[in-house]
Amino acid sequence: MRKSRTTSAVALGAIVAFGLTACSSSGGSGSSDDASSSGPTTIDVWLMKDSVTDAFLDEFVADFEADHPDIKADVQIQEWDGIGQKIVSAIASDEAPDVIEVGNTQVAQYAASGGLTDLSDKVEELGGEDWIPGLADPGKIGDAQYGIPYYAANRVVIYNKDLFTAAGITEAPADRDQWIADTTALNTGDVQGIYLPGQNWYALSGFIWDEGGDLAVQEGDEWKGTLDTPEALAGMDFYEQLQALGKGPKDSDEANPPQVDVFSAGTVAQIIATPGAAAKVVEANPALDGKLGFFPVPGKTSAEPGAVFTGGSDLVIPLSAANPDEGYEFVKALAGDEWQKKLATTMSYVPNKTTLAGVLDGDPGAAAMAKGATNGHGTPNSPNWAAVEADNPIKNYMTQVLTGADAGEAAATASEAITTALNAQS
Amino acid sequence: MAITTDLVVPVETTVPTRPRRSRTRRLMPYLLVAPAMLVLVVLLGLPILQNLVMSLQHFGLRELVRGGAVFVGLENYTTLLSDGTFWEVVLRTLVFTAANVVLVMVLSTAVALLLTHLRRAMRVAVMSSLVVVWAMPIIAATTVWQWLFQSRFGIVNALLVGIGLDQFDNYSWLANGSATFGLIVALIVWQSVPFAALTLYAGLTTVPDEIFEAARMDGAAGIRLFRTITFPVLRPMFGLITSLEVIWVFKAFTQIWAISEGGPNDATTTLPVYAYKVAQALHRYDLSGAISVLTVVMLTVLLLVYFRQTLRQEAD
Repeated sequence: MRKSRTTSAVALGAIVAFGLTACSSSGGSGSSDDASSSGPTTIDVWLMKDSVTDAFLDEFVADFEADHPDIKADVQIQEWDGIGQKIVSAIASDEAPDVIEVGNTQVAQYAASGGLTDLSDKVEELGGEDWIPGLADPGKIGDAQYGIPYYAANRVVIYNKDLFTAAGITEAPADRDQWIADTTALNTGDVQGIYLPGQNWYALSGFIWDEGGDLAVQEGDEWKGTLDTPEALAGMDFYEQLQALGKGPKDSDEANPPQVDVFSAGTVAQIIATPGAAAKVVEANPALDGKLGFFPVPGKTSAEPGAVFTGGSDLVIPLSAANPDEGYEFVKALAGDEWQKKLATTMSYVPNKTTLAGVLDGDPGAAAMAKGATNGHGTPNSPNWAAVEADNPIKNYMTQVLTGADAGEAAATASEAITTALNAQS
Repeated sequence: MAITTDLVVPVETTVPTRPRRSRTRRLMPYLLVAPAMLVLVVLLGLPILQNLVMSLQHFGLRELVRGGAVFVGLENYTTLLSDGTFWEVVLRTLVFTAANVVLVMVLSTAVALLLTHLRRAMRVAVMSSLVVVWAMPIIAATTVWQWLFQSRFGIVNALLVGIGLDQFDNYSWLANGSATFGLIVALIVWQSVPFAALTLYAGLTTVPDEIFEAARMDGAAGIRLFRTITFPVLRPMFGLITSLEVIWVFKAFTQIWAISEGGPNDATTTLPVYAYKVAQALHRYDLSGAISVLTVVMLTVLLLVYFRQTLRQEAD
């Protein structure tokens, strides 16, 4: 078995080189070709999964294309999972989509990166003075507006009226104690009192705010994760109590499996979701049409509804978009009053302007949401918050507590991870 | 891994170099590998160079989007080397690699030896199952693994409960650091054993039966036969496969990311996962570049130690 030195050396080289390359992943290059030069301009639009129903989207696109015969809108629905990386790659590339919907907790990061078009000179035309601050502020750096408010929503409890009636519950719970009692009564046999997956950190955030805690606080220039405060731990404690009143998996979030699908089966009494989810439930199971009710997440006392996270989305136009002007037309239409009203009524969203709020009168989902919104909160206001969500230590913390780990210890570890991410230099 | 076996093994075992022929004949091999090397330089060399450059710059989200990165010397490296988290990850990676490679080598040796003792039909059956495992795409296998260990509907929990271990009812494997670590090790070992076992078996078949006969006549059997005959004869092959497995495990990313994303609480964050997280979550592409440079350096040092030893033994 004697071999020359060179053979072995070449073998080493070959092994290292091939070994390292063999399984390295190659980035996908799935950009769609731009439409040919003649004919209408095709714009690429990224909207998020479940933000609107298919029917609404089809109607909007048809109407938009009718109004703009020279523009064709190619809307791609993106999954929330891993969206940060996708958007970063997109805005860093030469061929970004022309319009992207981004979550209001993440828009600050992209605006700070310098990859978005400054739309400050359009604010007046779009009626920006009436925008709701929870969407307009994160999309702004100094005086420059990068994100155009799209819609807002906060979570409510959606319940199955039939199951409530069957359990003899006639009115929505006014406070937490009543909520737990009702849910316990509902949770019998095949019926789940509530389907609450273990990693719904938005719901947990609400319970933490209820107790007077927070996810993180700023002290001077430094951020500090605060899941390990007694208040935050009390919030988690309540989450655990509630989560046990159903069969929600302890190690996944509301997207896996989609809680809308679980709820549409008809054996779940309640879910915590934005009211728009009800439309999705009915889409999945038309038999539930008219059988869904809403109430605000109950607070600690009946005096105030439970705290909720004010979620929502902004629309942005990347700097490297091929057709920014046509993209803007799309934004203008979708963020304009006509479609905002339709969007709000179809999806039970809070429209992007305070002046449009009236369209929700008489919508039970929106009414519940509006009540909850009086106690609305935001995630810690730092461009780095997106980094926390990208590798979310809160979800992991929740699963650990729910599966029997020491809450204090797990909370301290998660808080430290939040602290690190928020204070990272970028 | 498919490329690795096809290309490397023949080089090691079947090409006897006999130089001193005419000039063109001597140049011929180099000309033949030139296209492959060129592709390597373009597809691998340039990105590595770019990565190296990036690791010496300040390169965050802003620089990615707008350009204009400035050089900061070795700052990223000093930041990393003075960071406790980095060293934890290094240690974890070494433990992870050692655990996997030892298990793979022991199991695949056992399977290879078993194959030599099986009769034809059974041998074909075992080899086919090995090939099937090996041919399974990594992500597909990983997905199946996830389903097996799913907390509510997973078959593993159902079986464990079925045999009376009630504590596994709805047990979340991925919530526990050690359980997740073990699960991923098991997955990678399962995926790696076929290649190692089949290669070792191929090596075993090249050892003439007479050697074993002679040894048996002298009274050697079992472990002793393996230690004195099989292992020494196949030492280069064991060395080669061990090196390949070290590389493969050290840089394993897909399985870990798909199953746990390095969690819970970083319990399964090895160097490649760490580099990815630093880049994608914190947008510190510069630090991430430095991590991957250090990873390559570490891997090279590990393998150099092994190859120096092999070269020395061959020189004897």
